[in-house]
Amino acid sequence: MKNYEVFEHTADIGLRITGRDLKDLFVNAGLAIFQISSQKQFTRSKDHTEIKIKLKADNPEELFINWLNELLSLSSAKGLIFHRIKIKVIEDNFLEAIAVGSDIANYKVNTEIKAATYHELKLKQNETGWLAEVILDV
Amino acid sequence: MSDINLEKIDDFRWRIPQSYKAGMRVPGIIYADEKLLKDIRQDKAMEQVANVAFLPGIVNASLAMPDIHWGYGFPIGGVAATDPENGGVVSPGGVGFDINCGVRLLKTNLDFEDIKGKLKELTCALFSDVPSGVGSKGDIRVSAREEKEILLKGSQWAVAQGYGTQDDLDCTEENGVLLGADPDAVSERAYERGKAQSGTLGSGNHFLEVQVIDQLYNRDACDALNLNLGQVTIMIHSGSRGFGYQVCEDYTRSMSQCLLKYNINIPDRQLASAPVNSEEGKAYLGAMKCAANYAWANRQCLMHLTRLSFERVFNTSWQKLGMFLIYDVAHNIAKMEKHIVNGKEKNLCIHRKGATRSLPPGHPALPDKYKKFGQPVIIPGDMGRNSYLLVGCERASETFFSACHGAGRVKSRTASARSVDIHTLLKDLESRGIIVKASGRATIVEEAPEAYKDVNDVVNVVHNAGLAKRVCRMRPLGVIKG
Repeated sequence: MKNYEVFEHTADIGLRITGRDLKDLFVNAGLAIFQISSQKQFTRSKDHTEIKIKLKADNPEELFINWLNELLSLSSAKGLIFHRIKIKVIEDNFLEAIAVGSDIANYKVNTEIKAATYHELKLKQNETGWLAEVILDV
Repeated sequence: MSDINLEKIDDFRWRIPQSYKAGMRVPGIIYADEKLLKDIRQDKAMEQVANVAFLPGIVNASLAMPDIHWGYGFPIGGVAATDPENGGVVSPGGVGFDINCGVRLLKTNLDFEDIKGKLKELTCALFSDVPSGVGSKGDIRVSAREEKEILLKGSQWAVAQGYGTQDDLDCTEENGVLLGADPDAVSERAYERGKAQSGTLGSGNHFLEVQVIDQLYNRDACDALNLNLGQVTIMIHSGSRGFGYQVCEDYTRSMSQCLLKYNINIPDRQLASAPVNSEEGKAYLGAMKCAANYAWANRQCLMHLTRLSFERVFNTSWQKLGMFLIYDVAHNIAKMEKHIVNGKEKNLCIHRKGATRSLPPGHPALPDKYKKFGQPVIIPGDMGRNSYLLVGCERASETFFSACHGAGRVKSRTASARSVDIHTLLKDLESRGIIVKASGRATIVEEAPEAYKDVNDVVNVVHNAGLAKRVCRMRPLGVIKG
């Protein structure tokens, strides 16, 4: 089953993500922002670049937004599309992860996501795990 | 869906009373007619107008232009002035991620008849010469030292490189450069993201369009601007690319800390802000100016590439083709501007998030050639209908001399992708003489005309409310989408 879905927003994209636990939620959200915006087409050039990410925040919501924006920012600065993520440590206000990216030239990118926003952000635990809703500026 | 009880001021002005939400410091005012209001009520844009009214130091009202739609933090089409002497704040969310996204309009001395046989060739040439699409890299490569120059000098850097003329600078808002840019307030990541993207159009709603004038509204202004029916114009819509996104992100993040520090109470964290005169506010404005200057240099480079493309196709110089800039306006920006409030001149921080400056005739910031009729106000529509050229009016003093910035979306990208068939759309556009070239099919579908309000309705409100007056209307011929 898909662990994310897109919901309606007039100008931008709304993304609803689920995860078994906080770690799973962050991995799924991190991958979803690239899955909705790009499709792999070739393996012409470098396919495996590992980037270490360490982030701090005041609370889980801020950590979540910082995490998505860090991935988008690294993707744009390094010319990578991230397709594998391993979160080594995650707490309410800290995470340490490795994101594996492939050269953007191997992909067809349909949408440029500028950033994840706090507007109507939801991050909550329910009976089956975790759920997040975030609006992405495109 | 919004059920806010609006108070009708007149046929084009509606008030959200300050009593609507505890914490609003001023009322909200929405410029719209009954027809547009129906669309505006469909999403959460009006709630966002009310949220902006919470900003400390906000003056008179939280304003919304008729192209208003749901954004994040500010509505798209929102205008807010804050008074630094009264604790006024600056909010990165009031500018947005694409800092100094804006449009420029060039005229040519070509007529529709001159280009109709060459339109396909011309559109293909532009598509190949002007880098567009996600992750596109510009042919105009700059060194780290030069990137700093761009941040300080904006369009003036581009003109010094030979990518334009002094006349281009005269015809750009702020002459293409905001003074006081502070490159030290910009993160390394922003530099990294900006380095390869100078001279690139971007994606999404960014475009380059060859158009033809199909309606004149103000003969005297058209004569003064040398514009006539059937004349070919070119419109360029782009912004500060990844550089600006990173500046906004960096400062939204750091300004979250300011809410507690300065006791700022706002209902949406995307409105994070800091007093204009605080260390944090000054740092953001210094970095934002860098991004604004980057965007102006970018549009200047894009215009240069467009001129070269025309030269190649028509085998003559751009000067002989009469490719002169009419004007360039920013529509995502915060600027310190002087305005009269209750009879007193004030230096205010004007946030325009999807709104265009609209200066009246005689304003000192205008070049001599526009003093008589007012500032050209450029309003792009969708790829299937029209775009407009207007001029600023005195009545726009009530919006801190602002007007709308486009048609405004009415349908989400996903809804548009569901309902639009690309083959039918392209066939329909072709039957109306419009050629579209885009890096991705998804963009064409997401940007389909039905995803937007009818710009004719939006401009009608701007004109009748007296925020700007119609000069002429264009229709698209060749469209390059990112």
